[in-house]
Parts: sequence; C-alpha cells; structure tokens
Amino acid sequence: MILLDVGCSFRTTTVDLRERLAFDGDKLPRALDELSRRYDCEAVILSTCNRVELYLAAVAAASKLTADQVIHFLSEFHGVPPEAIQPHLYTHHHGDAVRHLFRVIASLDSMIIGEGQIAGQVKKAYEQAQERGTAGPLLHALFQHARQVARRVRTETGIARGHVSVSSAAVDYVRQVFDHFGDKTILVIGAGKMGELTLRHLRELRPGKILVTNRSPEKAQTVARGCGGEPVLWERLDEVLARADIVLSTTGAPQPIVTLDRWQRIAARRTSGTVVILDIAVPRDFDPRIHDGDQTCLFNIDDLKRIREATLADRLKHVAPAETIVETETRRFLKEWARRRNGPVIARLTQELETKREAIVRQLLARLNGKLTEAERSYLEGAFRLLQNQFLHGPITALTEESHEVPGAGGHTLLDAMRKLFRLQE
Amino acid sequence: MERISLFCFGASYFVAFALELWHQLRPRPVQRLFATLFGAAGLVAQTLYLGVWQPPLAWQFGILLVLAWILSIFYLFGSIHRRQQAWGLFVLPLILILVSAATVFGPPTDESGARLAGLFSRDDRRLLYIIHGSLALLAAVGVCVGFLASVMYLVQARRLKVKLLPGQGLKLPSLERLEAMNDRALTLAFPLLTAGMGLGVWLMLTEPVATWNDPRVLSTLSLWLVFVVLLLLRFSFHLRGRRVALLTIAAFTLLLVTLIVPHMGRGGLP
Repeated sequence: MILLDVGCSFRTTTVDLRERLAFDGDKLPRALDELSRRYDCEAVILSTCNRVELYLAAVAAASKLTADQVIHFLSEFHGVPPEAIQPHLYTHHHGDAVRHLFRVIASLDSMIIGEGQIAGQVKKAYEQAQERGTAGPLLHALFQHARQVARRVRTETGIARGHVSVSSAAVDYVRQVFDHFGDKTILVIGAGKMGELTLRHLRELRPGKILVTNRSPEKAQTVARGCGGEPVLWERLDEVLARADIVLSTTGAPQPIVTLDRWQRIAARRTSGTVVILDIAVPRDFDPRIHDGDQTCLFNIDDLKRIREATLADRLKHVAPAETIVETETRRFLKEWARRRNGPVIARLTQELETKREAIVRQLLARLNGKLTEAERSYLEGAFRLLQNQFLHGPITALTEESHEVPGAGGHTLLDAMRKLFRLQE
Repeated sequence: MERISLFCFGASYFVAFALELWHQLRPRPVQRLFATLFGAAGLVAQTLYLGVWQPPLAWQFGILLVLAWILSIFYLFGSIHRRQQAWGLFVLPLILILVSAATVFGPPTDESGARLAGLFSRDDRRLLYIIHGSLALLAAVGVCVGFLASVMYLVQARRLKVKLLPGQGLKLPSLERLEAMNDRALTLAFPLLTAGMGLGVWLMLTEPVATWNDPRVLSTLSLWLVFVVLLLLRFSFHLRGRRVALLTIAAFTLLLVTLIVPHMGRGGLP
C-alpha cells in the first residue's frame, strides 16, 4: 500500500507556474481519470490559487507508484518540461502525507494562517474525486479524518478568530456600536476600490438603506446601482450626514472634506443616535478631532489595520496548539488505519496458533491420561498458552510498530511476509 | 433550611464574581460555567432564605435582599443568554453591595428581640400597602437595571474613545443595546415609581403613617423629580449617550439614599 502527496504551493512556486499547473475546468476530471487508469491508484487533486497537490494511494501491494511517475504525469498533462517543475515540487510519503494534508486543511500551511476557505476547497476536491470514482477506502478515510481535524483545530484553538482583511475589520468596530442594522442608513462618500470591498462586508449586515454621494453624479449613480443604493447629490452631503448611522468615506480629496466646525454644525442637526464613520481615505476625509467614542465614532484606515495586525498576531499564538492537534490526529489516523489493515491478519494468525495449540495439548493430555493431577493439567495448559502468547508477541509488535511509521510500503511488506511465513489464507 | 445564612449566598455570589474576574484574565469556558453554577447556587440559597425568613419589605434589610434576589435572576439570565459578554462583572458587584448593606443593617426585630417575619408584616398586609411596596420595589429594579446599563455604556464608550481593539479586554453589548436597555428600564421604572409614590402620598393623607418631612417621603420625591428631569432631557431634548448614562447613575445613587438613609436607626412602616 502506498500513500503519496506531490504538489507545490505559494511557498515553493511563483503564481505563474501555479497557473500552468492548475487543474481548472475539465482538466480536473480528466486528470483524475488518467491518474487512476494509468497507475491503478486512488486519486484526489487539490487545485486552488495557492496550491496544487495530488494525493494518491495505491492499495495493491504490487503497485509501483512513485513520485517521479507523478512528476512525469504533471509534466505531460500540462505540457511543461519536468526540469521546469521538479525543483518546485514537494513530495510527502505515507505518514508525512497524512500530516501535510491535516496541516493544509487546518490552514496551518496557508498564506493567511487560520483562513477558513481551504477547508471548503479540500472538501470540494474530495467530492470531485468521489464523483469520478477515484477516491477509494484509504483516501476516503483520510479525507473524512482531515475534516474532523479541521473542525477540531477551529473549535479548540483560536486560530480562526477575528477578521484579517481591512475591509472586514470595519464590521468589528461597527458591531461595537450597533446591534440591529435593518433600520440603519449607510452613507457612502466617494467610490474607491477599498470602499467597495468594505461596503460589501457592510452590506452583509443587511442595512435598511444605502445612500451614495460623489462629486461626480455619474459615479454616484454607478456605485449606487452596484450596491442597490440610492444616489444623492454632493450638495446634499451635510443633510445626509445628519441622517446617516454609518458613513463610509473613501474619496480622493487632498484636504479633509468634513472639518471640525462643519461636523459640529451637522451634529447639531442630528436626531438619531451614534454615528460610526469609517474614513478609509488617504488623505483622511474627516477631521480626527470629531471622534468622541460616544455620539461620533470615527475610525480611519490605521485603526482598521490595527485589527488585522492584532488578529494575525493572535492567530500565531494558536499555531502551537493547532500543530499539537495535527500531530495527535496524524498518529491516531495511522494507528486506526493500521488497526483496520492489520486486524484481520493478526486475528487469523492468533486463531491458527490457537487451534494448533489446542490440538497438541489435547494429544499430550491423552497420552498422559491418568498420570497427572488436575493442578498439573492446568499448569501444562497454561504453559502452552504462555508459549503461544510469547511467540505471537514479537510479530504483532513488529507489525504495529512498522505500521505506526507508515501506512504503506514497509507495513505491507511485513504483512505479506507474515501471510507467507504462517501460510495464512486470504 | 433555617441554617441558610446571608453568608451562604453572599459567599456564592462572591465566588461567582471571582470566577468571572478570572475568566476575564484567562478566558476558559470552565470558569464561566462554574461562575454560573455558583451564581445559581447563590440564587437557590437566597430563594430558600427569603422563603423561610420572609424579611419585611418595609425594612431596608428586606427590600435590599429582595432587590439583590431579582438582580441575581437578571445575572443568571444574562450569563446564560449572553455568554460571551462580561455581564457578571457588572451585575455581581451590585448584588454583593446590596447583600453587604443588608448584612450591615441586619434583620429587623421587635421590642422583645424576636425576628420580624412576613414580607408584608402586620398592617402592611392590606392590599394598598402591598401594592405600594411592590411598585416601589419594581421601580427600584428598573433603576438598578438602568444603572447597570449606564455603567456598561460608559465603559464601552471609553473603549471606543481610546479605540481599543474589538476583541481586546471586556466584551460588552453594543452602545445601541445598552442605550435601549437603559431607556426601557427608565420608561418602565418611572410609571411604577409615580404610581407607587402617588399611592404612598394618598395613604399618608388618609392615615397617619408618615408626614411630609419624613426622610423617606422627601428622598422619594427627590428621586421622582430626578426621574422627571431625566426623562424630559432624554425624550424632549433628545439628550443621549454619556450624559443620560451619568444622569441614570445619579438617579441610582439617589435610590440608594432613599433605600438606606431614611431607615437609619428607624424601623419600617408603622
């Protein structure tokens, strides 16, 4: 039995090479079919923008699946010379492949540690292999276990806690001020790219109304159309600022557009409660002195970046506990897999010896009939049982130890040897 | 049952508070769970205590304990439904202050030194006195809840003012929720206080239970006036946020004065 992982990630390749090795569109099912047919193996392909990995398992003892063959396949399939890809690929065998998959799905190997997307991508990769019929018993068990690992890491550590993009971090601040958003009005000032991203996150809060204003009415129209908002003339800025609950400002103005004096006039007209202003423009659109943390909460791009940095720093603290979970689960999977694989052989071996021992003891006792006391009979029986156990101890321990190291190559050699040595029937 | 003392539930609430504090320093679900369990144990013990001794509500000892009992229900509700938030850190100290104040005053006794019992003792059993006492108690609960919401509001506003990271430090409800909680508590407490006070004045005019210069009457009237000013500023002049929170805290302080000072060295209602 062989378990092999060959691939590359953002750590080992440039995006250019990853693009060339990607299995997008109909390439994925074709590659799965081809791998399965050519090497008589189970196959799952994980192809994302940050990594391309092939997980292959050959159950047949005689399988000769090697990393070189997979590299050759990749080269042939994508039309890239092997020497161009080989230096960028990594290979994991057996236990290392299991550990690597668990680290990947737990997002310990991701560009942004703790990101949640990878677990879904791994799940999708497995489902696609299942649809093509290339995921067999080993990869099925492996990927099911991997999902449990991802769940454990996410729930038992804080690795996935918090927001890591500046645009989503804005929501964290907004949630400290507001609870319900159905009755809230969001005012978007300007039309920057960053503003669009932030607005996307704010829209997930399902606000009651979105107003968009811009010096250019056409741009205001376009942005409003894109977000299901209502365009407002730039001249009405003060009026809508007095009504808005959340303001997202992202203009390219060289000077602040709302000074302290202007804001004081606007604030005097406000009848609704606190306003949260997300000023993500550089240079800033609002005078920072308007922030009071009570009726006016102003957050600029640096405040949002602080959330991102703090989240990333916090996630790093959870890497060690997550790695421990991965290690524990790797051992558990290997042990479980070994038990499933070795169990029947060990049972047959034990049964075989048990039958032989019982026959010999029966024969011996028949010869010595009448000459032994009851105590001597049971001592004799016990001695033979002890001999059987001591005899079995060595092979069973060796098999177990071997299988802890690898779920594949070494283990199957020993298993085969045992079958042959003890003439165990399949 | 009679062996349950103030110390039993006071200590339970204290341990719950210590666990809540510990949870803030080193957050682990087990601390929060044990804090809730100790809070629940305190509530059970206090319920049994109130059931057995029935301290008269006309005395500060009784009203402080019943107020603490209602707030401990509030604490349990909050800690179960808002598990992520530092609810207990604000409610438990108030409960402990009320229980401690009740301990200082001690249970009321008659001339022979025997402990008075019955939430509405002697003449107070009459329906009007019961209604008067209950309305005052419920209004006091409203002021306490408003006070808690205001303190939390000020802390949350402070966090926002210094731009503390959202995940850092205490986890509190949003400003909007705290403001709404305060509004709701005050708008419910005011009619209760007004009705309770009106009934008290009517009883005073019809029966010689108290006079206008009685400290209880004067402090209750002051509390009512503060309430009127507070509601006027809030709803007619759209006063919001920090200022309303500070006024609510002032109203709570006056409530404590109303509950404690007029009873100093005196008995309850005749």
